[in-house]
Amino acid sequence: MPGVSRIQAKRYAVGYLFISPWIVGFLAFTLWPFLQSVYLSFTRYNIVSPAKWVGVANYRMLLTQDELFWKTAWVTIKFAAISVPLAIVIGVALAMLLNIDIKGITVFRTLFYLPSIVPTVASSVLFIWLLNPNIGLFNKLLATVGIHGPAWLKTAPWAFYSLVLMSLWGVGGSMVIYLAGLKDIPTPLYEAATIDGANSFRKMRHITLPMMTPVIFFNLVMGIIGSFQYFTQAFVISPTGGPQDSTYFYSLYLYNRAWKYLDMGYASAMAWMLFLIIIVLTTAVFRTQKRWVHYEG
Amino acid sequence: MTIDTSRWKRLLLWTAALVLTVVVFANGYSTPRQYPQRKVVRFWHRWQGDWEKQVKKIVDAFNQSQAEYEVVPVSIPGDGADAKFILGVIGGDPPDLMSMGSGAVPNLAANGFLASLDDLMTPDEKTRFLKDSYPSIRDVGMYKGKCYGVTIGADLMALYVNCKQLREAGFDPDHFPQTLEELEDMGMKLNQWDANHNLTRLGFLMSDLGYVSHSFGGGFNVKDDGTLELNTPQNLRALTTIVDYRKKVGLDNVLRFQAGLNNIEGAASWSFMRGDLTVTYDGQWRVEELRKFKPDLEYRVYPLPAPKDGGTPRGGQVGGNYMIVPVSAKQKSGAWEFLKFWTGLDNPDRAATFYNMGGWLPYSPSVANSPTFQKWLKGDPQFQAFLDILASPNCKAPPPIANYQFLADLIGRAEDQATQGAISPKQALEELESKFKEERAKRRELGYDE
Repeated sequence: MPGVSRIQAKRYAVGYLFISPWIVGFLAFTLWPFLQSVYLSFTRYNIVSPAKWVGVANYRMLLTQDELFWKTAWVTIKFAAISVPLAIVIGVALAMLLNIDIKGITVFRTLFYLPSIVPTVASSVLFIWLLNPNIGLFNKLLATVGIHGPAWLKTAPWAFYSLVLMSLWGVGGSMVIYLAGLKDIPTPLYEAATIDGANSFRKMRHITLPMMTPVIFFNLVMGIIGSFQYFTQAFVISPTGGPQDSTYFYSLYLYNRAWKYLDMGYASAMAWMLFLIIIVLTTAVFRTQKRWVHYEG
Repeated sequence: MTIDTSRWKRLLLWTAALVLTVVVFANGYSTPRQYPQRKVVRFWHRWQGDWEKQVKKIVDAFNQSQAEYEVVPVSIPGDGADAKFILGVIGGDPPDLMSMGSGAVPNLAANGFLASLDDLMTPDEKTRFLKDSYPSIRDVGMYKGKCYGVTIGADLMALYVNCKQLREAGFDPDHFPQTLEELEDMGMKLNQWDANHNLTRLGFLMSDLGYVSHSFGGGFNVKDDGTLELNTPQNLRALTTIVDYRKKVGLDNVLRFQAGLNNIEGAASWSFMRGDLTVTYDGQWRVEELRKFKPDLEYRVYPLPAPKDGGTPRGGQVGGNYMIVPVSAKQKSGAWEFLKFWTGLDNPDRAATFYNMGGWLPYSPSVANSPTFQKWLKGDPQFQAFLDILASPNCKAPPPIANYQFLADLIGRAEDQATQGAISPKQALEELESKFKEERAKRRELGYDE
């Protein structure tokens, strides 16, 4: 009926009108720059002058002539390989602790969540003080048990591991998601296990962890993406990636190439290489999910 | 009839908020204008705290000195100032004038971000500028024969010496070592340690390879014909000296000690003021800070003594804040008028006051020899050491190449790797040169003119 389709078209129009700010924003500020950067990665470009086509030269140089590309990629991969699993283990462990029904648990939950909303620059400056080898809290605590703490941010490889440690500071964000996942596990499963005589460890091993795998999977994917774009803390602590390039992350090198050396074309090629790496790794993780992620129903 | 006052209050509040938002955002300038009828010159700088107040005083003096322009200063803090400037230029809303770190000037000029200041100068001003300036200060702002940056606050380094600590150790601060070797021996005797063998006071330490290499007859240079002077025997000697001395003190001891220093630039908490450093290498702005924050500290300033054989006295490299005008600035002539006023190109004696406010190095001997500057120098005689270095032929400008920032990062990386003991000084410089060559080959292939 023509009348009905007109009403339906009007409804669609109203719907699109409501979401139009997002659509316009997405097209203008995400999709267009995204496509533009593909073109720019094949050019020499400094923002003010017109881009000059250089073919695949940027990619070839990246892969065959740029030692820093491989070095910074390795630092980033190593960071992802250590910090993402650590963040999952600590996030799940904290969520389990904060799932215990004791008095004042909401206060504890708030306290553990709070660090994740502290601005990154502020928390980075805070850590510079905490990790000060002479007057910092970390080395003061280590000294109480007779350990002469390292010069954390001033020496390799400690500077790198300091950043891994700092990344755990914001684990409260994922912890809240784990906690929601824990709350979602049906109680009858635990009741049945109790009747069957399962102890707490077995309940965790055979009920909690399997039921949490969708949430763990989500945080794993987000963690990989986030750690490959790790930038702010490294930039605040050492904008040139020192000591000994140990904190020279891929995104930091990309930033320097773009804004310091004004090689926007080269930086665009670097951004696309990063995109490809993330896509490959995310796809690989997605492929494994059938083997270890358990969805209800 | 009753009137709902809370509803009216709410309406009034929303209206006030709306008006405020419109005023703040539609105006385009968050800083209030003092002279709205004048042409506005937007000036971005990177000074904060006490420095920002000095800048404000200079701006006020300019605004009161004439009736055509109003300079509106905005402090752009942090390492991201370069990126903000670039975004301002490409976004079509750049400042009219910006104070930028000198290292960025050639790259920005090569990439077409900057207006040539030659075009803003009258022929007479240009002749005077080229003739009057200290050559090393002038050359920092030059790229391919044109001037793109003029300093209002160039920086140099020299040794600050704590007289009391020297006397306590049996040295006479007025008979300072004449060679680097003598200074190193003295420095070792001035170190102090606690019971756990932690360094509590550092006698002397040399760093900043790019700078000190000039005292060894070296320097990291790329000549106009493309010849590289990077991995040279002089630069190798400079880096080896830095590393060997650190080894004597202990690499880890130095790292720990330096990391523990509460060394916030521009603050009254400089470690030298607190007595943690006896002889330390620092910039000329510290003279004014010492006068303000620690007037009772007796100290001397000396140029870094050159090594005994083959060294070059009063060596150094100029850096610091350089004023640039973006190519798309709307008020270039106003920017140039303010720049002239601050530098003293038109009136050296008036500008001397501005240089003295921040303890900055003057752009020319005509400012340094002006009555006002000389009078100030009598009160801060230690500043003379910096003027001596500035007047020396061994005080140089960094190479005016577009990828200077890349080279500066390589120099920093080489020093970092060698002082941490990861590789030898020889390997560090070989690596530096080979990486620079690779980068140059890449740039050539991509069609850059250098």
